[in-house]
Amino acid sequence: MTKLMEWLLGLSLIGVLWSIVTFDLLDLRISDQYLQVAWPLPIYLLVAFGCYSLAVVGYRVATFNDCETAAKELQEQIQEAKRDLQKKGLHF
Amino acid sequence: MATWTDRAVGMGLVVFSILLFTYYSIWVIVLPFVNSDHAIHHYFLPREYSVILPVVAALVLVLFIGGFITVVLWKNKQKKKVQ
Repeated sequence: MTKLMEWLLGLSLIGVLWSIVTFDLLDLRISDQYLQVAWPLPIYLLVAFGCYSLAVVGYRVATFNDCETAAKELQEQIQEAKRDLQKKGLHF
Repeated sequence: MATWTDRAVGMGLVVFSILLFTYYSIWVIVLPFVNSDHAIHHYFLPREYSVILPVVAALVLVLFIGGFITVVLWKNKQKKKVQ
């Protein structure tokens, strides 16, 4: 089974379980407080995932090391490429 | 070492996401089990907003991205016309 199929299967399983709890499709008579936690769950998981992604991005921005020599080398190569292309007729 | 602006922005994002996660988790998961006359309920909006606010925020984000792409493509077309 492809990865896409696996993910879709997992998501639909979770979706079915959530619908059964939220819309009371099997007459499970779950207590009121657990119902109140269950119905926002999909959005809660999305928000939690978004927070996690934001935290990872922020952390990697903060810990990414500068490379001075590589940056200078890159700038020189950019200037060289610009001069080369202008000679061959490309306009910037 | 990243520049101090990079580190400030990065750490700011981390702190913001931790705060958001904590507030939202208490709102959705902890509050239903807390007595309805406890004072902590004053710090949280009614429960419907815990679903409405993320949906609205997602819509705003999608509109912003769409608008940004539109502006960039439009400016590109203008530049091509001038050339």
